[in-house]
Parts: sequence; structure tokens; C-alpha cells
Amino acid sequence: MPLRELVLEGAGERDLTKLGEYREVGGYAALERALGMDPGKVIEEITVGTLRGRGGAGFPMGRKASLIAKGSPNPTYLVVNADESEPGAFKDRQIMGTVPHRLIEGCLITAHGIESRSVFIYIRGEYLHEFEVMRAALEETRGADLLGGITIVLHRGAGAYICGEETALLESLEGKRGQPRTRPPYPPITGLYASPTQINNVQTIATVPKIIELGGAEFAKIGPQNSPGTAVFSLSGNVVRPGNYELELGTSLRELIYDIGGGVAGGRELKAIIPGGSSVPVLTPEQLDTPLDFDSIAAAGSFLGSAAVMVIDDRCCMVQLALRVSKFYMHESCGKCTPCREGTRWLVQLLDRLEGGQGTQADLDLLDSVCARMLGRSLCALGDFAVYPVSSYMEKYRDEFQAHVDEAGCPFGGESSVEGILAPVDQHSHHKTVEVPA
Amino acid sequence: MSTPELVTVTIDDRAVQVPKGTGLVETALAAGVEIPVFCYEPRLGPAVGACRMCLVEVEGMPKLQAGCTLTAQDGMTVRTAQTSAKAADGQNATLEFLLVNHPLDCPVCDKGGECPLQDLTFRYGPGRTRMTFPKLTFDKPIPISPTIALDRERCILCYRCTRFSEGVSEDGELVTVNRGAQSMIATFEDEPYRGRFSGNVIELCPVGALTSTQYRFLARPWEIQNVPSVCGLCPVGCNIDVTTREGKVKRVLSRNHPEVDEGWLCDKGRFAFSHPHARDRITEPLRRVRRRGFEELSWDDAVDEAERMLRAAGTRIVTALSGSETIEQAYALGKLLRQGLGAHAAVLPEETSTALDALRLPLSAIRDAELVVVVGDQPVEERAPVVDLWLRAARRRGAEIVTIGPTGSIQTPPGSAPQVCRDLAAENNELGRRLRGGQRSIVIWSGPDGRGGEHIAALAHALGLADVAGSGAFYLPDTPNGRGVADAWSAVADGEPADPEPIALLIVSGDEAAANPGVRALAERAEMVLAITMFQGLAVGWADLVLPGTSYLERDGTYMNLEGRVQRLRRTVIPPAPDELAWLAKLAGRFGVELSPHPSLVFEDVSARLFGGLAFADIAATAALPTRAKAAPRPPLPEPEPQLGGDGLRLLRYRSLFSGAAVERVAELQFQRPAREVEISPEDAAAKGIASGNEVAVRHNGTSVALRATLNRRLAPGVVRIADEHAGDLGARVEVGRA
Ligand SMILES: Cc1cc2nc3c(=O)[nH]c(=O)nc-3n(C[C@H](O)[C@H](O)[C@H](O)COP(=O)(O)O)c2cc1C
Ligand code: SF4
Ligand code: SF4
Ligand code: SF4
Ligand code: FES
Repeated sequence: MPLRELVLEGAGERDLTKLGEYREVGGYAALERALGMDPGKVIEEITVGTLRGRGGAGFPMGRKASLIAKGSPNPTYLVVNADESEPGAFKDRQIMGTVPHRLIEGCLITAHGIESRSVFIYIRGEYLHEFEVMRAALEETRGADLLGGITIVLHRGAGAYICGEETALLESLEGKRGQPRTRPPYPPITGLYASPTQINNVQTIATVPKIIELGGAEFAKIGPQNSPGTAVFSLSGNVVRPGNYELELGTSLRELIYDIGGGVAGGRELKAIIPGGSSVPVLTPEQLDTPLDFDSIAAAGSFLGSAAVMVIDDRCCMVQLALRVSKFYMHESCGKCTPCREGTRWLVQLLDRLEGGQGTQADLDLLDSVCARMLGRSLCALGDFAVYPVSSYMEKYRDEFQAHVDEAGCPFGGESSVEGILAPVDQHSHHKTVEVPA
Repeated sequence: MSTPELVTVTIDDRAVQVPKGTGLVETALAAGVEIPVFCYEPRLGPAVGACRMCLVEVEGMPKLQAGCTLTAQDGMTVRTAQTSAKAADGQNATLEFLLVNHPLDCPVCDKGGECPLQDLTFRYGPGRTRMTFPKLTFDKPIPISPTIALDRERCILCYRCTRFSEGVSEDGELVTVNRGAQSMIATFEDEPYRGRFSGNVIELCPVGALTSTQYRFLARPWEIQNVPSVCGLCPVGCNIDVTTREGKVKRVLSRNHPEVDEGWLCDKGRFAFSHPHARDRITEPLRRVRRRGFEELSWDDAVDEAERMLRAAGTRIVTALSGSETIEQAYALGKLLRQGLGAHAAVLPEETSTALDALRLPLSAIRDAELVVVVGDQPVEERAPVVDLWLRAARRRGAEIVTIGPTGSIQTPPGSAPQVCRDLAAENNELGRRLRGGQRSIVIWSGPDGRGGEHIAALAHALGLADVAGSGAFYLPDTPNGRGVADAWSAVADGEPADPEPIALLIVSGDEAAANPGVRALAERAEMVLAITMFQGLAVGWADLVLPGTSYLERDGTYMNLEGRVQRLRRTVIPPAPDELAWLAKLAGRFGVELSPHPSLVFEDVSARLFGGLAFADIAATAALPTRAKAAPRPPLPEPEPQLGGDGLRLLRYRSLFSGAAVERVAELQFQRPAREVEISPEDAAAKGIASGNEVAVRHNGTSVALRATLNRRLAPGVVRIADEHAGDLGARVEVGRA
């Protein structure tokens, strides 16, 4: 299966960060067309195109837009989620770094569609380079009078994964502590500054120009019926050619990992696959033929999530991996709700003891129980994200967990390939020292 | 108003009908079912869903739901821990998680015995722990102010305290820092929590994380009594529960009166309760001997002495009242002096206006207002603090609040409030027009004293507010019971007061009168002075006979608050000396005046004249507000007094909330007292080359006071502001310059 580039189209050949180059490949033509359309018609095309959100949940963008409160006395806002912080995900980084104008064009079209005059792009704080590329592109757009009176604000995050959760993102944008809100009310009714707000992922928005260009009906023909279009898959872990690959949805895991990624590095055995970023349940090699689209991955018991595919070879200790992932979620739990705040820490303590060889059979039971008692009870999805990896590793690689008890230690010792899969959380730097551009 | 649509909700198989949109917690309560909560507290704004204690099963929803975030919808079927194993497991799990890092030091925790975490763990939690790792520890306890201690290990991060600080008192001083399990409550920049309402967080805290430094380790819930009473420190009259143990007051808690205080107290009302134990409390009668010496005398001798003084003075007596006496005390004094001796002359604590009775509203009406205009020189929060909370609540609900005064949103010079009232009443005034046209318009007078009630009532009548149910007017008095005292005094008899000259006897009733410079000046002219005060510092030295006074915490009786609501004070502890009514009754007997020493009987007498025969026993624990009086013919707008001219800056004195005889005697409140500062507008500061923090001299007519300058952006140019206690003898016009 070849690459199918809609969002990244042309970036391999030209420097599309430049407005001139982008216009040469037809950039901003979709905007012009959209501006000639009725706002409702723009949303209709997106709805017909069945564009599902690429930020994780796969919620249809058109449906979200239709929920925007009409007749509110407050302005309507568009917010773009560029906080990409899920371990394994780095697609939005490439989109902003190589096709910034496509994102800006998508913003302007969407803003027209939902009749918004203000757009906020919330960019992960560590993405300084991408921020600067976006800023330069925005300057050019402004200079070329393409904004049409719409204000686009670039906002840099301050290093919190939770601020990718849409309501925490809104709080953070409002200058408050980044913690999720309870829902309802939902953002389309009461979002940023208590006003109707559309929130979408970078890639979702960057796909919008293509839908306008092709027409929704034509777009819907790409890929599977219920998950049309492409996704930029971030392939990482123990694989020969890691990187971002834009493919039609519905491409199988096998095609991505073997045909495109060159297979498991060093000729090792494939042990496990994480199909959608560190937060989703793990898949096993028997599930290699699962198509990468929202519904097929869900049917296989996991989530497409942020389309970050992580390849795990046979040297990897699943307890070590679980510990790494758990430390990440403990570190990133915002602390607002009880099960996640307390549970994430407890999980780390238990896994740490297990990996250190002091774990008992009772600890295994307790791990199961803590997972079960956290699942579905937290305020936001992070509480579940912290559970899925641990509970799925335990379910599918039970023997390995058992071995840690039976052998009073880790069978893999320092030989595990975990380093090649996930960096420890204390290596996360928050670029405290970078100068904040005015 | 349309009646809300009723919906039927089934909770644990019990069907209940409630108005649509009622919170699920309240709906369950109506069905007799408990949904346990920690973070849920509707007074703090919308539910946050943080603690997950309230997990319930809702038919049609796959996951357990946080009940506190749901509202009643027709046909909803809910199961709590009582009938759903899943909900029970959810609640049990929440408690297990909460206890994972909780120190469980209940035996030494002040909250023990009245702790929601203990209670809910007992009812819904696990019996034993599965946590075998070291718990998170923090330094503890941390004093976040001299009145509040924080134990971060006990904190369950329900965010009630921070939500109060951010969304109710709006001081923003309490915040959460760090995230995840390391999250902790802190004051902004680790400064002491200095606010007018900080103490409310102690009561909001569902665990022993925020405790009162005054109450720490003093009592256990099973060895205390809570006596329902009202606060006597300002005209709001917040409802309180007074915790006593072994005959001493140990703390003051709020007692929610939804129309008066909504369960909030200011820090003065909450923390000043220890003043009756001040070292200079007078417990025996004192008589002046020689020039500045005093001797104690027995009560019998004291009553004889008082009788002798009264007989000698006859009608040439002036009585200075404080406005902190109970209605019964003031009435008793009046009966003795006016009926018994024909001595009608009095210095009343402040002028009152009956025209306000036709504009009466509960304080809670402020929250529901559309437009509120506050006129006057004194900030509301210094005079009647809880009214400030109602105003903030109104603003959050979308009301427009306009303040007109030297620190107002519309700046006017000090003393211009009467003129402002006239301007607002004029037909062509834009703001006045909007007040007039509104359905829920409220006008408030906030100082200075004098004829404020009359001015604001005349304005409100001119605007037609008396004819609109949701509209009205408030006058914020200077004293807690000024209106009650004045009404009781005048109800006793009809005699015309003639100012006696010379004054044979000045009777100083209460601490506020004793501290009043005007009263002190009268004392200079009086041949004899009889003072009733609580503390040595106030009248000893210039009174000939001092009789011990009592505190509002020690008296039975009634107060009338600024709304016109008559509320019951209860004796929470026995005073160290007979109370005023006891010896007044005795003294009255000697002049042939029949007076009961029992407040309930005195009240009967007063009530027949003032309150339509309302019975003492019928004053409910949460007292009702009398209905609005019929509008009298429109009172004319009083003439504003001419403004004094002159050079220099206008001096605006204000009385800080944290001042007065009680506050001065409470060690923990000293940090709240106003700093030695002069506030100056940025314009005047720039013109005089003064920067914030500079030492300056404030001069007037040869007197000079050294203060630190602080810039106040909200202050009108041409005005400087100084707290009363630091303003010394400065007059109305001052010069300010670098020291
Ligand atoms: C803990 C957490 C982190 C998230 N992080 C991101 C993120 O970094 N980027 C993103 O687009 N969506 C993220 N999401 C999903 C967003 O909440 C939201 O669903 C998404 O931005 C909606 O956009 P879409 O409909 O275009 O996918 C996160 C969700 C959770 C619960
Ligand atoms: S689940 Fe975790 S991240 Fe989400 S609100 Fe609760 S504590 Fe915060
Ligand atoms: S200190 Fe008390 S009120 Fe504040 S968050 Fe902790 S438990 Fe809640
Ligand atoms: S607001 Fe007034 S009545 Fe209420 S607690 Fe404070 S001083 Fe007492
Ligand atoms: S009471 Fe419902 S989440 Fe805290």
C-alpha cells in the first residue's frame, strides 16, 4: 500500500512553509471556494465527507459543528488542539512544521463554516520550532490579506499532557489551572469563556481544505466507508524505519509495520503492538491484519487514538513497559479527581515493587483490582488511559507478570528493549529556559 | 413567575417528583436517599465532579456517573449504593483511594467526631486498608494565617477552599500548586491568607486539613454544646452557632440563614469571640476615688450608688447609647430613665429612617438583582461585610453593580452622597432612569453616617422602587442594633427631650458610646458619669461609676438587623457579672418602675408597641423578615449639606472591619488590622513625587502624622484615605509630603 498524502501532500517536494510555494500547489484555493459558499454548506460538505476527529476519539467533525449553540449572545470560537503530548504521537508536529499553511487554511475555512471570528491554536510548549514555523506562516498569511478579518492566536502550552484534553485546554487558554471540566455543558454550548466553541485536532482541521477541494462526497470515497480519509501514522519503537507516514485509513497494521516500516528492527520477533499511542490497550501479533481505522481497531479491543503505532519486540519486558507508561500518567495526572490522582500513584508503587522482585501474588490481584476500580470512574479519560495499558498488558502477557512474582525479579533484567520504545518520564524536559517570544 | 415543570425520578426504587433541573443530590434527599458527597457544595458554584464520592448508576448510562453533576430529568432511574452493587463498589473505591494517602490521625485530629470523611468511610468505605507503601508526607501543620492551620496530609483535594477563595470571596489567595498526587493547597506566593472571609474555608473543609488555630486541640464534638444565636458585631446579624465547652466559648460557626448570610461569616464575626476573656475585662463594679484611682465595690453598694446619682441628677441626665445593646436593654434603660425620672435626653447611636420599611427586602434579594447602585463614602465590606458577598454573587449572576463614591466605579468626592441621591432621582438621569425602569433594582447607602437612611429612602421612593416587589433599598448602619435601640428607646415614652444644661449625669451605655469622641466631649461637660462597659481601657479614668457590661455572646434578647429583621440572641455562656437587665430591673424598682429582669417579658412589652405583639417564642431560629410596610407619602429628598471648601487634599477616614474594642483584644486578629498607611491616588502621588512605600507626613493645622504611602488606583484624585485608628486628630483637609 503506497502512501496517500492529502494533508502532507507536496511537502516532500517543496518547502510548503512558504506561502508562495503553497499557493503554487493550489494553496488557499479551497479557502476561496469556501468563502463563496454559505457557512452551512461548508459544514455540510464536512459532514458528507464523514471526517472523524483525528485527536483520539474519532468524533465526526460535522456533527460537532452542528451542535454549536445558535443565537448565543457570545461569540463563537474555533480552538485547534495542537498540544500533542501522547507518548508515541508526533504527527501534528510534522503537519505544523511542514504544511503550516494547510492548517491555517483549514482554520479559516472552518471559522467561516461555524461563523467564528477568532481562532486559537494551542501548541504544545515543547514544540518551539513548530511554533515559529506557524508564526512565520501566519505573518505571511496576514501580509497577503488572506485572514479576512479573522484573528488567529497562537498559544503555547506550558508542558502539561492534560492540557490536550479539550476542557483542560480551554481552562488553560483562559489562564486558569489546566484541569478538565465536568460535562455537560459541552464546549459547543459552553466552551471558551463560556461561549460556543468548536475544538478539533490539528490534523482534523488540516484535512478540511481537501474536503472542500474534492467535495465531501468524493472525499468519503477514500478509505473505508465509516472512517474515510487518511491519517498520519507515527510509527515508532523497535521498527526498521520509524517515522510519520500518511496512509489511507483501513491500511492494515502489517502493511504499515512491514511494508512501509521495514519490519521489526534487528530481525527480532514481534511481541506486541500499540496502535494508538501509549494510552490504548495493546494488540498482539495475531492481530497484525487488523485494518487501521476507528471501527476495526475498536473491534479488536483497542483504539486508533492518536494513530501512534508503537512496535514492541520480544526483548521487551511488559512489566517494565507498564511501569514506564504508568509513571508517565502518574506524572501527568492533573490531580483533580480521586481515582486517577491516587490510583496512578498506587499503580506505580505496585509495578515498581513487582519489577524490583518484591511483588507477591496478592500484589498481582491488587493491580487487577486497582485497575478495575479506576476504570470508568474518573472525571476525564486520562484516568482510563492510565488503566488500559496496565490492564491489557496484564491480561495478554499474564505469564510475564506471574514470572516476576515466581522468580522474585525481572526475567529480562537490563536486557529489555524498553529504552527503544518509550523514554522515561524524567527525561521529559519542559524547556523552562527557552525564551518566550513576545 | 411560572411554576417549574415537575418531573418524576426513581431513586432506589422510590419515585419522587421534583422541579425539573433540581440537582440529583437534592432529588435523592427528597426521596429520602443519601448520595454521599465531599466536593459538592452548591454555594460554591457549579459542581466540579472532583472527588467521585457521589458515584451512582443511572439507567441507560454504561458508566457510573458523578451524581452531583446531574440534574433531575423526567423518567430518570438512579441507583445508589443502597441498591446497586456497582455504585457501592464505586463509592467504596473512592474512599479507598482517598485513604491511600490519608494519615488517619483521627485521634489527634480536631475534625474527629464531626468529620465527613470518617462518617462516610464508616458507612460506605472499606474496613481495612490494602495500602502497604509509605504514604505521601508533607510538612504539617502549616499556618496559612494566624487564624488558620493547614495539614496537607489530611487534605482530600476537594477544592472547596480554593473554590471559595476564587468564586465566593473572590480574593484568589488560596490556590492549588503542583499536580497529581503532589497537588497541594497553598496561599498565593505563600503570603498569609489575609481576607475578610478566610475563616469560611475551615467550615467548608470536609476533613481536618483546615483547622482554626483558636480551636486546635481544645474540644471534642461529644463534649461541646452548639448554641444558636446571631452575631452582634455588625448590622448584618449573621446567624451563628456558638460552640461552648465548660462555660466558655470555643468557636463560632455559621448557621445558614438563606436570606441573611447563606452560611458565610466574616472573620471578625468568626474569630473575635474570645474578647470576653480579655485581660482588662471588668467583672466588678468600680467607683472612682481620688483623681485617677478606682476601687471595686459590691453590687449592692453599686446599685445604691447608682440610685444616689440618678436621684441627684433628676431630669438633667443624658443617656449615650451604643447601638449594641439588645432591644430589651435599651427599652429597660428607657423605662428607668424616661418613665422613672422623666429624663428624656439621649444621644442615639445613629439616625434611622422609617421610610425604609416600605422598601424592605431580604439581603438575598441583592443576589437576584439586575442593577444595584451603592452610594456613600465607606466600602460596603468594612461596614457590613456579608453584604459584599451578596453583591459579588449578584455580579457573578450578571447583575450590574455601580458604586458611587470616593473609591467607587464612579468617583465622587467624599460627602457627595446626598447630592448623588438627588442627581439619581432627577428625571433625566440615565442611571436613575434604568433603576426606575427595572424589575429588580436596589439602591444601597454605605456611610457616612447621619441622615443616610433618609436620603436613600427618599431616592428609592422617588424612583418608585417601593412599588416593585424585587426592588428596594438598604441603609448600612454603623452599629449592629442601632435601629432596634433607637426604636425601643423612643417606644418607651412620649416625653420631649430637652437638652439639660448643665448635664448633671451622663450615662454611657456600652463600649461604642464609651469610645465615641463626641460622648467623651459630653463627659467633659457632665458633673457625673456612669458608664456601662466591658473593658477597663474604655471608661475607667473618666467615669465616676463603672458597671460591668456584657458581650452579645452572654446575653439573651433581640437585635434588629439592617433589613429590619428581629433576631434572637441567646446567652451562650454566663457573664462574669450580673447582666444589664438584672441590675436595671433592681434599680427601676427603687423608682417605682415595674421592669422584669427577663428579656422575654421585656420583649413582650416592646413587641406590643413595636412589632405587632410578636411573641418572643415565635422568633424562629432563622427569623422571618416582616412584610413590607405600606408606602407612606413620598418623603422629600433632604437638602444636601454644603460641602466644605479649602486647600489641600480631602481626608477620607474609614473604620476598618478589623477595628473596635473586640478585635483589639483578639491576638489572632492583629495581622488583619489596617496598616499605618495613607492611600493616595496615582495622580496626586505623581504630582507630589510620592511612590508606594514612601514614608510621608500627613499634616493638618500643625498636627502631623507619619504614615506609609500606598497608591490606590480606585481612589478619586484629590482624596486621601486613612483608617480611623491611624488618622489621629487630622481634620478634613490635609497636606501630604515626603517625610
Ligand atoms: C488526557 C487527554 C489528552 C488529550 N490530548 C490530546 C492532544 O494532545 N491532541 C488532541 O488533538 N486531542 C487530545 N485529546 C482529545 C481531545 O480531548 C479532543 O477529543 C480532541 O482534541 C477533539 O478533536 P478531534 O475531534 O478533531 O479529534 C486528549 C484527550 C485526553 C483525555
Ligand atoms: S482523570 Fe486524572 S487527569 Fe483527568 S481530571 Fe481526574 S485527575 Fe485529572
Ligand atoms: S484543604 Fe480541605 S477544603 Fe481545601 S481541598 Fe483540602 S480537603 Fe478540600
Ligand atoms: S458580617 Fe457582621 S454579622 Fe456577619 S459575622 Fe461579620 S460582623 Fe458578624
Ligand atoms: S461530590 Fe460528586 S464528585 Fe465530589
